[in-house]
Amino acid sequence: MISSFWVALRAEIYVGLRSHASRLVVILPALIACAQLVLTSMLTASREASETMFGGMGAGQIEGADAWGTLVDAYATGLTLIGLLLAGYAAWSLANDKDSGVLRHLLIRHASRRTMLMVKLAHAHLLGIASIAVLLVSCTLCAWLIWDFGPVVEDGYELIGTSEILTELRLGLLLAIIPLPAAITMGLLVSVLAGNSTQALVAALGITLALDILKGIIGAASDYIYASYLVSLLDSSYLRDVSRLVRGFSDVMINPTTLQMNQWVPWPQAIFLLLLAWYAINRKPV
Amino acid sequence: MKATDAILSVTSLRKRFAAVEVLKGIDLTVTPGAIHGLVGLNGSGKTTTMECVLGMQSFQSGDVRILGRQPADIWQCHGAVVGIFDTPGLHSGLTVRQVLTHARMLCPKPVRSPAEVEDMLGLSRYSHYRIRQLSLGNRRRVSIAHALLGQPQFIVMDEPFNGLDAGGVDDVLALIKDLNSQTGASFLLSSHQLAYLESICTHISILHNGRIALTETLQNLAGTASTQLRIVCDKADAAVALLQSDPAIRISSHEQNQLNVQTVGIDAAEINRRLVMAGISVSELQELRRGLHQVFQDIVNAPADSPLPEAS
Repeated sequence: MISSFWVALRAEIYVGLRSHASRLVVILPALIACAQLVLTSMLTASREASETMFGGMGAGQIEGADAWGTLVDAYATGLTLIGLLLAGYAAWSLANDKDSGVLRHLLIRHASRRTMLMVKLAHAHLLGIASIAVLLVSCTLCAWLIWDFGPVVEDGYELIGTSEILTELRLGLLLAIIPLPAAITMGLLVSVLAGNSTQALVAALGITLALDILKGIIGAASDYIYASYLVSLLDSSYLRDVSRLVRGFSDVMINPTTLQMNQWVPWPQAIFLLLLAWYAINRKPV
Repeated sequence: MKATDAILSVTSLRKRFAAVEVLKGIDLTVTPGAIHGLVGLNGSGKTTTMECVLGMQSFQSGDVRILGRQPADIWQCHGAVVGIFDTPGLHSGLTVRQVLTHARMLCPKPVRSPAEVEDMLGLSRYSHYRIRQLSLGNRRRVSIAHALLGQPQFIVMDEPFNGLDAGGVDDVLALIKDLNSQTGASFLLSSHQLAYLESICTHISILHNGRIALTETLQNLAGTASTQLRIVCDKADAAVALLQSDPAIRISSHEQNQLNVQTVGIDAAEINRRLVMAGISVSELQELRRGLHQVFQDIVNAPADSPLPEAS
């Protein structure tokens, strides 16, 4: 089983490297995030030009906040897209192979259904790693070309130093990445249960958005849902707080309980969803 | 033959979709080296049988062994079993060469390169075409090309001639014959094209009303089935009177100087001899041997409560 897993994963990567869907998952979040950076820099330049023309920079203006704030927002945009795209891709991938009949060849000649489930899971994670790496590198490079990064200063006083910003940024990114495996396994479960790839894609995106809305309704209970820690449209992740922190807001502090929950809640949920998919895949026709 | 010696052994296979029982206890055996044709009307359960055999569908009861393994474990045969389905299962965004390279990666013991199989199936000029750009017939060729990368022992083909032009059908028929004779590969083919099956199959099973109504070697099917004769002679009434006296001969129709008769175990030469001995001049005697088509028609047209016609 182990050797068939590696061979099937290699073959999956071969197809993935030549598939538009995989490229989209890797490139689109970085592209949108970089576009957001460029657009924001243009708007900032235009605002500064306007302020210069009508009286210069006002008192109380925070220096450095634009650079860090825009970069964190770009990361957040990219990670929102990555969360949605990975859940959608995981749902579409296996269901599409079922629709096209490709899965049948694999199951007859090479791998069991459960091995193929693990191959799809591994492939989606590899795509996730690639898309996060491309996002971080391209956004950082793009922002570095546009802005000068340094401490956040207000009226000559340093509100927050560069090293502290980087520490919080790293924590924000890490906490935003932790729930992604749960989002992927949710997509895979939907893929196993769905009748076809369109149904799977729509259901996975629908569930992701529904969880997003739900977490705002159920209050404290939302701490027990992995989706609460995903960067999303109705964002409640720590990265949103980091975005405020680097803009000079001093009231930002992560609750130790929330930190613990963010680190530990998504894992058992990912495993539970995977076990459901593991059970269901042997009971569905392909 | 013991079930364990068979390439495929299906015993009492039952499959139900909601309230409809599609397969009502299928028994089917494919022997090593056989080209086994499975025929039946639309909706008779041919594809369902194949999908159950290959582990694509679960079934309510029965036992299926394919190279000694259960359907869910076919992958452990490592390429010894190949399925070619009605809809070619190919990555539509990849080129022909990429699809075959991908398939070769998954083939534990490849014996041919993608270029070789492209050449064998006349796909060389489409090598760099994406699958979505190909006609259905050429997609089917690519699907068949998958099977040729390795050395399969058992190839299951669902409607292999669909979408193929006349040349394509000839190529596929020749390939099946070559693979069977050169490598000893066994085949299970389902098709509506009875003439094509008749030209290559060693065994035929007719699936009707959820059961295998008939399983026979093609040789027996041809040799034991009754024979139709068309006779043109000068004294038709006398000929009818003479032939009717033999219970092995049945007069199907009689019109002026022509009569159609059905015989079992009496050949055309014997009929001719009897007529001539009785002073009846025979100007034409044509043997209309019952083929697979006729046997199939007899089975599917038989009333539901009547016993099924037998080949032997």
